[in-house]
Amino acid sequence: MTSKERVARTLARRQPDRVPIYDKFWFETERQWREQLGCPFVFHPERSRFDWGATSPETQSRTLWEIFDLDITEVAWPDYRLRLVEPTVIEETDEWVLQRDGNEAVLRWWKHKMGTPEHVAFGIDTPEKWTELKPLLTPSRERVRWDEFWPLYRRARAAERFICFCTVEPFEMVKDVLGHEIMLKAMLKQPEWIHDIFDTYTRVAIRMFELVEAEGMTCDGAFIYGDMAYNTGPFMSPKHFREFLKPYHKRMFAEFHKRGMPVIFHSDGDIRLVLEDLIESGVDAINPLEAKANMDVRELAPAYGDRLGFVGGIDVRVLMTNDPDKVREEVRSKLAAAMPYHGYIYHSDHSVPPGVTLETYRTLLDEVRRLGRYD
Amino acid sequence: MSVLPEIAQAVIDGDEQQAPKLVEQALSDGVAAKAVLQDGLLAGMSEVGRRFRDGEFFIPEVLIAAEAMKAGMEVLRPHLVAQGVKAEATAVIGTVRGDLHDIGKHLVGTMLEGAGFEVVDLGVDVSADKFIEACRERPVHLVAMSALLTTTMPQMETTVKQLREGLDPPPAIMIGGAPVTQAYADQIGADGYGRDAATGAEVAKDLCFKKAS
Repeated sequence: MTSKERVARTLARRQPDRVPIYDKFWFETERQWREQLGCPFVFHPERSRFDWGATSPETQSRTLWEIFDLDITEVAWPDYRLRLVEPTVIEETDEWVLQRDGNEAVLRWWKHKMGTPEHVAFGIDTPEKWTELKPLLTPSRERVRWDEFWPLYRRARAAERFICFCTVEPFEMVKDVLGHEIMLKAMLKQPEWIHDIFDTYTRVAIRMFELVEAEGMTCDGAFIYGDMAYNTGPFMSPKHFREFLKPYHKRMFAEFHKRGMPVIFHSDGDIRLVLEDLIESGVDAINPLEAKANMDVRELAPAYGDRLGFVGGIDVRVLMTNDPDKVREEVRSKLAAAMPYHGYIYHSDHSVPPGVTLETYRTLLDEVRRLGRYD
Repeated sequence: MSVLPEIAQAVIDGDEQQAPKLVEQALSDGVAAKAVLQDGLLAGMSEVGRRFRDGEFFIPEVLIAAEAMKAGMEVLRPHLVAQGVKAEATAVIGTVRGDLHDIGKHLVGTMLEGAGFEVVDLGVDVSADKFIEACRERPVHLVAMSALLTTTMPQMETTVKQLREGLDPPPAIMIGGAPVTQAYADQIGADGYGRDAATGAEVAKDLCFKKAS
């Protein structure tokens, strides 16, 4: 069975040959392992540093996904900044850089490690300011890094991997423009404004998907990122989730389903309160199932396994012990609970942190491949 | 009928227009500033905290309640100063060295203010030395630190150790953040752990009252 067939069957909750394998790695982990593996990061200075872009995995001639023979590849990642410009550096030290980005957001980024930036200030904080800058958000070819994703896409197709169109959903997009606080307060105080922003970003996201498809970069599934929860629950009530996000999710996910593409939805944190709504919106599988946020696949699979797939859940805190027996037991208990529903894809419960050794990771993959067989 | 329950309700409703007006009304009716604070604004925030803890309120409701409380405080603050009313305790908060996450910390700060603390927010990427310095500049009853990443969590242990070595007596120390657990708090010798902002404020009150007694 090819990776493409394996993942497609799993996301349809039909029995594959084995549990598919996919993962993400923190930048520091990838850097360390690449050195050990003799294929260090290739630095791309032409990439702007609005994130950890200059060494992002997809820019590499060989990704860790390929090195570990993982089953999924993500492509596209449209850029939804209002202005596609280099950020303006406001202040810089050896450790961090404070900059104003194309969304007029002032963020502090670490220079040598990955992570969410500090939200210092947001330039768009009123409906008037949004109305003034909204015309900048137009769909365009310039929003995709074709020179990086075409080579990766072609390699993934040749290797018969399951290729996901990768993007963010409106909440995640607008978080970068207004910040969480302005956005969440406006849901209660200025609901029409928030609906207008979410509607605008949803339309542009769908147009960008169509544009990528029209270029010939057709995909097998969609990997949608939208962090809308923290350790103890969603950022907003289920009522507000239904009012402000569900309609836009439904509209967006329908475009993928029309093409037969299943939807994997990523949200950090505890999203159990809105799981039914996500299923109704068209989510086929969730990721990453953070163990520390009580997203335990051993409980979720029996409750939702007939309607929902699971991509993740292996506790990185257990991996960080680097104890082979504990790692094997973590894999065993979660695979045993999830496999009967046929919708499980191995993935760490977020991203593999730098405390995990390459040896531990290999032990983990061996165990998933050994225990994850259906025949 | 006293206007104080109405002030509390304005805070619960997140009504930042009504809260300062009601505070003004209470003051012009001759209600003591301390009562307006305790039985009006803080009573409202206490109920907001309870609802957040019990899953009836979510972050948006807490944020707008905090704005209403702050709007009320703007009116009330000069009267508190004039009447010599001081916060019951001072808390120094910050995200530990190496971590830039600040949203959860803001919520904790809001809840601590709502619980009657004066809050000194040191921001993000705060070194142990900076926490110590802040504690030497003023009487501090509580240091509350957060970390969002498993990679920055060990910095908490370093900070706890240095606070205990560098301050005599050390303030109460509590920790919180996504990867943090009660077991970890016990392991590194923190006095308390808050699983979320609301329970964090309750733990903080327990710790400080316990320390004071």
